[in-house]
Amino acid sequence: MTLLAASALSGGYGGAEVVREVDLAVAEGDCVAVLGPNGAGKSTLLRLLAGILPATSGTVELRGRPLAAWRRREVAQAVGFVPQSVSFAFPLTVAEVAQQGRAPHLGPWRPPSPHDHAAVAAALGRVGLAGREGAAVQRLSGGERQLVLLARALASEPRVLLLDEPATALDVRHQLDLVAILRELTAKGVGAVVVVHDWNFALRVANRVAVLHGGRLRAAGAPEEVLRPELFRAVFGVDVELVERPGGVPFLVPRA
Amino acid sequence: MKRAADVTLVLVLLLASAAALLAGGPAATPADALAALAGGGTQEARMVVLGLRLPRLLLGIGVGAALALAGAALQSLLGNPLADPFLLGISGGGAAAATAAFALLPAAALGLVPAAAMAGAAGATALVWWMARGPLGSSSTRMILAGVAVNAAASAAILTILSVAPSPRLPGALAVTMGSLASANGAAVAWLAPYLFVPAFVLLLHGRDLGLLATGEESAAALGVEVGTVRRRVFLAAAALSGGAVAFAGVIGFVGLVTPHLCRMVWGQSTRRLLPRAALAGAALMVLGDLVARRAVAPAELPVGVVTALLGVPFFVVLLRRTS
Repeated sequence: MTLLAASALSGGYGGAEVVREVDLAVAEGDCVAVLGPNGAGKSTLLRLLAGILPATSGTVELRGRPLAAWRRREVAQAVGFVPQSVSFAFPLTVAEVAQQGRAPHLGPWRPPSPHDHAAVAAALGRVGLAGREGAAVQRLSGGERQLVLLARALASEPRVLLLDEPATALDVRHQLDLVAILRELTAKGVGAVVVVHDWNFALRVANRVAVLHGGRLRAAGAPEEVLRPELFRAVFGVDVELVERPGGVPFLVPRA
Repeated sequence: MKRAADVTLVLVLLLASAAALLAGGPAATPADALAALAGGGTQEARMVVLGLRLPRLLLGIGVGAALALAGAALQSLLGNPLADPFLLGISGGGAAAATAAFALLPAAALGLVPAAAMAGAAGATALVWWMARGPLGSSSTRMILAGVAVNAAASAAILTILSVAPSPRLPGALAVTMGSLASANGAAVAWLAPYLFVPAFVLLLHGRDLGLLATGEESAAALGVEVGTVRRRVFLAAAALSGGAVAFAGVIGFVGLVTPHLCRMVWGQSTRRLLPRAALAGAALMVLGDLVARRAVAPAELPVGVVTALLGVPFFVVLLRRTS
């Protein structure tokens, strides 16, 4: 079943279109990796898909209904969004940030229920932050902050997860954890869209790849079909070599 | 620990309120005041306690709660720990209009000063909102810059008015800029209480949204906040509270800025839990400040804005040192 679908989606900032006529669908269990050079419109596409940036034309549908027809809170209940970073004006704790993930389910007055607390604890445990609940998030490293934001999105128990470069500040252990988390979620039928710069991370985690260039969708499909040396030359201007590994995921190496 | 802090806060407010009603000069000693509150006592004592001290206490509670609530909401809304009704030019706009009214209105029309202050605060709010609007909507940074500019203009206007105001009107105009609860009366309280109720309710309703907005607009929108609607409502409600405060008590600094931070240090960062406590703490600080203002150099009075600033600054220094 299709969870989130963009058709002819365009949008940007202050009249300038950054994303142009993109078609993209995320079904249950899908993990779509979005790749592209800096400034290609990857983060903007993610904001448009989350509905936090209004489209200038085209539509995004959540479970077959346009985003505009849902209330903002209903969208947030179904769609988890992990931004690249968040500015913390006040010294929040790890637990306080993770609890924000439950806000779409609570409304203005209702205090968190045992289920809300359990979801937060499970999310923090899953990203490896159990025991760090009381730590001030401003004092954490960049990678740990990314994990807190991931936990916040997991705590909301979303049907679709949108992640903006979630692995950039993570060490290799946590990158592998993130791969495992995404695989677990997609196995449960959650759909995911992940903006990444690391092609090999995309090869590991995604069952589909979308390549953006100049705001347009340059290629989309299964990773091994899309991630060809010709495409890299055309989009990134670099030569790459695809190293096949028997019984494993192939490996992309740029040629200096 | 937080439960104990809740109880302490309520006790402090109750004790400060009791002290504000009982403490005073020979017209109503504590014993006279107690008798008056019980329905007996001399006529003079009843007049002083029920006609002067009680409205003044209630005005202090309303103004302190309004300023602290507005400050806490604005800090979260704009994601800036320094935001308060003063920084955003709302208090300044109200004060400029009130001083102008004091200087220019005929004596019979001085009852219109609170209305002028409200209009000035509303005008400053509209100006800040309009200045902050950019091609991408109004951002927090633009709003604070606009507020600083409006505040500077209001300060200049106040100084100009004070320097040319006819001397008999100078004390009244000056009192606006220093803050005072001395003009409290039953009518002012009866008018202000229902007026403050609606914006206070709006802010409490959006407590959870405000906590999310403190981590940025994009982050809040992703968590289900209708950012545009909430920002408009909260800014208007905070401005209405600040306008009400400045209309009946003049410019009172630091209550809106410091009280929310003190409460954050005790009760944590959850804005939903913070807002009602900030309101109570603002009320307590104001009642205590006014008590000091009334009694410290009796029979003369200090401006309550000066006292709250003197009480607030040391707290603020400690806060800055602790969070640096």
